[in-house]
Amino acid sequence: MIITHDLGKTYGNRAVVDGLDLRVPEGCVYGFLGPNGSGKSTTMKMLLSLVRPTSGEIHIMGRPMRRSTRRELLGHIGSLIESPPAYGHLTGRENMRLVQRLLDLTDNQVTQAVRTVRLRDHLEKKVRDYSLGMKQRLGLAMALAREPRLLILDEPTNGLDPAGIEEIRRLLTKVADDGTTVMVSSHLLGEIDRTATVLGILGNGRMLFQGTRDELFARSVPDVLVDTSEPQRAAALTARWHTSRLDGATVRLSGLDDKATAGVVSLLVHEDIEIHGVRRDSQSLEDVFMDLTEERGL
Amino acid sequence: MMGRAVANEFAKMRRLRVTPVVFVMVAGVLAVSCVEFTASGFVESMGDPAGKPWQRLLASMSFSVLMLSPILLAVLASRQVDIEHQGNGWLLSRTSGLAPGYLCRVKFVAAGAVVVAATVAQSGLVFAGGALVGITVVFPAGQWLGYTALLVVVNLVLFALHLLLSARVENQLLGMGVGVLGVFFAVISTGLPQWLSHFLPPWGYYELIKPVEYREDGSLVSLAPSYVSVLALGAAGGVLFLLVTRQFDRREV
Ligand SMILES: Nc1ncnc2c1ncn2[C@@H]1O[C@H](COP(=O)(O)OP(=O)(O)OP(=O)(O)O)[C@@H](O)[C@H]1O
Ligand SMILES: [Mg+2]
Repeated sequence: MIITHDLGKTYGNRAVVDGLDLRVPEGCVYGFLGPNGSGKSTTMKMLLSLVRPTSGEIHIMGRPMRRSTRRELLGHIGSLIESPPAYGHLTGRENMRLVQRLLDLTDNQVTQAVRTVRLRDHLEKKVRDYSLGMKQRLGLAMALAREPRLLILDEPTNGLDPAGIEEIRRLLTKVADDGTTVMVSSHLLGEIDRTATVLGILGNGRMLFQGTRDELFARSVPDVLVDTSEPQRAAALTARWHTSRLDGATVRLSGLDDKATAGVVSLLVHEDIEIHGVRRDSQSLEDVFMDLTEERGL
Repeated sequence: MMGRAVANEFAKMRRLRVTPVVFVMVAGVLAVSCVEFTASGFVESMGDPAGKPWQRLLASMSFSVLMLSPILLAVLASRQVDIEHQGNGWLLSRTSGLAPGYLCRVKFVAAGAVVVAATVAQSGLVFAGGALVGITVVFPAGQWLGYTALLVVVNLVLFALHLLLSARVENQLLGMGVGVLGVFFAVISTGLPQWLSHFLPPWGYYELIKPVEYREDGSLVSLAPSYVSVLALGAAGGVLFLLVTRQFDRREV
């Protein structure tokens, strides 16, 4: 659905996005993750041609995104970037009507979109009096009314309470079930962990990982934790060959495969250090994400 | 696309207090112009061609226009554009295929139509007022319509300028400040020689299009309006507006 090749954006002499090869398969929910300032918004703006890339190419729905194809492509892309747009002095219905007229949509499309975001009872209220959650939903309704094949959402859960976040999550799942490809960004993995089927993780403008959840798990090896009688000495010894540090009374070794683990154990035994236990750390997706972004990011 | 976008602009004008602003623009000019009816010797001049009652009315109208238009057009333009800043409307339009400069051109068409209507209403109502109080001297249609046409051009140029200003600078106080300054420019240009007023576009042009003028001795003379100057202003304004909005089209968010 979206393919980019060597996509990059430089502000001044700072590469904000660098050599990005996005692959967003059709029909998936693509979770676009990265810490603050990693370039998620910039990337999404380039996809929507709100910002001109400094380098690289973008193909959406098999067609290059250019000035000449922009309007046509944008007709099939719903989006929500940064704060949700809407005119405060108009009611929800009047705002929807603006979008309807501009894009030449049918009444039915608008009604359907409003029903999807459950905003029907608030349409006569002025948007100025909406809560943030309602504004966010109105923004989504505006994006959905054109029945987009692709939905690009930049941190749609920003500033929402847990109920609001759950509501958006439910909505995304529903939209995706109806066959729309969804690309959604967040700086919190937990927020889109359960909805996303494909993940892209960005750090300092570069893609650190792209693939399914399972692939992400498989990629990183959890730490080995060793409990011994002499943790200090054990840590010092193992530190010669491995990344090792003391975690309370436990020695924590990173990046060990099974063979290396066996080697560590026999080394400690050889040094007459009593071993009380050796185990792998339990690891959440959140940890994997943190590892990836910390390691290669800042 | 243009047609639908223009229709949207009219829809956005709801609750934007466009009507009160236009009302002040029209009623204000009408009221100030009608003060002339109470001036000494006006009633006596109504049937006397040598008293030039229509020209006296034109003089007071052109003065009231010069006092009110710069600030009210600034308000009108700012109202149109500020909603885009407040509501993230630039982005909404872009993602629907309307570039920001295009949106400005659309606004110029929609709100510009309102400006034209208001200007014509000013002129028409002052004429109606004159006819109602009973001016029986032959109506100088050419002079009156010529002035109205030139006024439309100057108003549109000024309005376009304020649209761009309000769009470029998010803080609308700047536009308001320029509006107030505009009144000041327009007023001082009445005391300047004509060639100097050319250098205060577009405000000085309210003085240049003035159809009549009081001389030192109190006599009222008709002037040949500077059609060429105003046409040049219109053309230059149009080209600049297109160039600047083109540049807006290329701007990033
Ligand atoms: N117009 C601009 N000019 C200069 N620098 C910019 C511009 N826009 C963004 N940046 C910089 O690019 C970097 C990436 O910004 P971006 O908004 O894409 O990050 P993000 O991943 O969306 O972060 P967040 O989670 O905070 O939204 C930031 O460091 C920001 O300062
Ligand atoms: Mg962002």
